[in-house]
Amino acid sequence: MISFTLSPQQKQMKELVHWFAKHEVRPIALEADRLGRVPDEWLEKVNKMGIQLNASSFSGGRAPSVSDKKKEKKEREGNRIAVIAAEELAWGCPAVALSLPGPGLGGPPVQSSGTPEQKQRFLSIFTKDEPRWGAYALTEPEAGSDASGIRTTARKVDGGYVLNGQKIFITNGARASWVVVFATIDPSLGRAGHRAFVVEKGTPGFTATRTVQKMGLRANETAELLFEDCFVPDDNLLGGEELYSANANRPSGFQVAMKTFDSTRPIVAAMAVGIARAAYEYTLEVVKREYPRQGRLYYEAAELLAEAEQEIEAARLLTWEAAWKADIGEPNAMEAAICKAVAGKMALHVCAMCLELLGPAGLDGHLVEKLYRDVKVFDIFEGTQQIQRLVTARRLYAPYGVHV
Amino acid sequence: MISFQPTEEEQAFFQVARSLAVEKIRPAARECEKRRTVSADLIARVNELGLSALELPELWGGLELPLLSQAIIWQGLSYGDLGVIQGLPGAGEASSLFRLSSEHRAWHRYREIAKGGQWPTVAWVDEAEQKEPLKQPIRVRRRGSGYVVDGVSSPVRLASKADWVVIAARDEEETVLLALDERVWEIEEGDIRLGLLASGIARLRFAEVYAGPEQLVARGPEADAWLNRVRARNQVIEAAKEVGLMEAALDYTIEYTAGRKAFGQEIAKFQGVSFTIAEMAFACRGAKCLVWQAASAVDRGDEQADGFAWRALACAHRSLRYVTDQAVQMLGGHGYVQEYPVEKWMRDAEAQVMLYGRERDWLIRRGEQLLSERKERVAP
Ligand SMILES: Cc1cc2nc3c(=O)[nH]c(=O)nc-3n(C[C@H](O)[C@H](O)[C@H](O)COP(=O)(O)OP(=O)(O)OC[C@H]3O[C@@H](n4cnc5c(N)ncnc54)[C@H](O)[C@@H]3O)c2cc1C
Repeated sequence: MISFTLSPQQKQMKELVHWFAKHEVRPIALEADRLGRVPDEWLEKVNKMGIQLNASSFSGGRAPSVSDKKKEKKEREGNRIAVIAAEELAWGCPAVALSLPGPGLGGPPVQSSGTPEQKQRFLSIFTKDEPRWGAYALTEPEAGSDASGIRTTARKVDGGYVLNGQKIFITNGARASWVVVFATIDPSLGRAGHRAFVVEKGTPGFTATRTVQKMGLRANETAELLFEDCFVPDDNLLGGEELYSANANRPSGFQVAMKTFDSTRPIVAAMAVGIARAAYEYTLEVVKREYPRQGRLYYEAAELLAEAEQEIEAARLLTWEAAWKADIGEPNAMEAAICKAVAGKMALHVCAMCLELLGPAGLDGHLVEKLYRDVKVFDIFEGTQQIQRLVTARRLYAPYGVHV
Repeated sequence: MISFQPTEEEQAFFQVARSLAVEKIRPAARECEKRRTVSADLIARVNELGLSALELPELWGGLELPLLSQAIIWQGLSYGDLGVIQGLPGAGEASSLFRLSSEHRAWHRYREIAKGGQWPTVAWVDEAEQKEPLKQPIRVRRRGSGYVVDGVSSPVRLASKADWVVIAARDEEETVLLALDERVWEIEEGDIRLGLLASGIARLRFAEVYAGPEQLVARGPEADAWLNRVRARNQVIEAAKEVGLMEAALDYTIEYTAGRKAFGQEIAKFQGVSFTIAEMAFACRGAKCLVWQAASAVDRGDEQADGFAWRALACAHRSLRYVTDQAVQMLGGHGYVQEYPVEKWMRDAEAQVMLYGRERDWLIRRGEQLLSERKERVAP
């Protein structure tokens, strides 16, 4: 039955995460932006509370073990709960949310393609008392949107592979305990040559060369990674040799990367919704409090706020639809692309409308000003809006046999 | 629980509606437009399938379906042609009023005349709120125990075919809801050329028409309460029809651009085209979500349901204009000529948007509602 109300479990999660976002995240948001990092004590505190960022299935607690995942499959609410939680966290502060300990974007590929042993080895570290991070490294200086064009090489040697190459813009990349790294065993094979490795921090030849300064999301670390004759044992090839030999002609490594997007794009969309909602709610309160009742300004504000609310709601429902499809086990690549494209664009528009309503006063150490800087990248990472249009159009034209 | 899965019954209804839309309605649309009326066999087919009684009370032999199911069905039907759908005779917008006040004595005669699933056609004239700056609203004055109605309505659909007219207007003090059933009006066809030409759009002129007490349906707060509920229900249904039309325009454009070649390849392969198609799909899907959400809020009796309906209609209006305009654009010169359906769809879309209220008005209303809300709502 079509329904847009939350199940008791969804509702409970929303309230819980909202409480956390309001009382723990929001209060440090502006300061973390100014400092350019999230304070260590805070990270330790929330880690002890059991709050983590796990993009594949937000649990509100420790990363799910293998058996948890089975349970979740039965209930099939995991994706919906994840987007609900992501919206609330980003409502608190997207930069702080992305800095929360946990496997982050590295979680989904390990969950979906790792061997049982790899899942155990890489995900169990998040049950430790000190904060730990995972990361996901696909983008390279010469390959962003066109992920098939990566140049980082993986040369087969006795007992493992040797990686050479550079990755850029990697979220939590320098602090991560391990990074899922995409590389190619032979560039001439194209996508079929792609492999995904888990590279652990401290592996010789693997260094985080620098972190970049950004327009927004300043409290969150974005790193460049360098691989120089970096030896990675066979055991760290995600899914093991079988995954690739079983599908000799299929581009599995590339698929690992792409499949990840079907679950992470709705999360990114949900975060954009949360950011837009934060800006909207803040501005709504200001207008209620400070605008003269009635009169031209008041009606203009009413219209802009309603427009913002409408756009937020539409993007949220599209996000829920993508998550719902994933939960019922249907292919959701198009819905994931649609919600990401709509939410990314919507959120910037809403933040801009809110800044307009706040006027120059909004420039001064202001939450909405920060959200505006933060939100732009949500239209860029995890696939730009152009790439989402491409994915959508491809699927719409597929029945007509036209490849766009 | 969040779910986008229609029930089996809704899916079955949708299939029936879609098939009718594609196999019967769309092929007949141009002819209906030319004759400015819906052909008798289409009407018969719609009645046969019970589609004219979706909203009517069960007590009257109607289906009294949940609004969400109706939204899905209208969406399916309008995929054929909105001009035809808006011209289907029957109770129209008044259905919701009948449903809410099914035992009211004002409807006794209406029910008597209705035989064999043929519901007399009702034109719905809602002038209880000043919506148009360019027009004098219809005047209603008390006289004795009845009312006198005077003035010319805005163009409304079904006007030229109406057996009955339901008028919502204001007298000196309050809202009055009247049912007129004796052809006490004159039809002013005017020179309407934009769109929805088969829908019987016209103005109705009332020259000092007297309506007796038995024709008074409600007044004051009772009339306002009914009207608010009727409006919300109809706004959702109209928005659902708009979604159906935009889906038609989108699908048609996808198929056309997949086949049309220029510069040595299918034009779909140019991103200026395929990205526009993606944008059109985003607009359709977003509007559909808001319409379904508003419908389910009305069904649940959510206190915000009217605000959701405004929001859905505002979004549908904007999306409809965008999608039908782009459909014409993507067909180029072929889009502008009448051998292809998209020029008609764009005209119909614009006429529809004009009939059902300005996007900006709905937004301002919703905005005022939001600004007067107090509490923080975290989990609905
Ligand atoms: C803060 C931040 C965090 C990030 N985190 C991560 C991370 O954790 N892991 C990771 O792997 N990456 C990460 N990224 C990288 C991000 O995913 C890429 O920047 C993004 O995919 C775009 O790639 P690009 O920068 O190379 O742009 P390009 O691919 O060079 O694109 C430039 C422009 O061309 C357009 N374009 C490209 N191809 C097409 C096409 N076929 N059709 C139409 N237009 C096209 C793009 O839309 C864009 O507008 C992050 C980036 C930032 C800024």
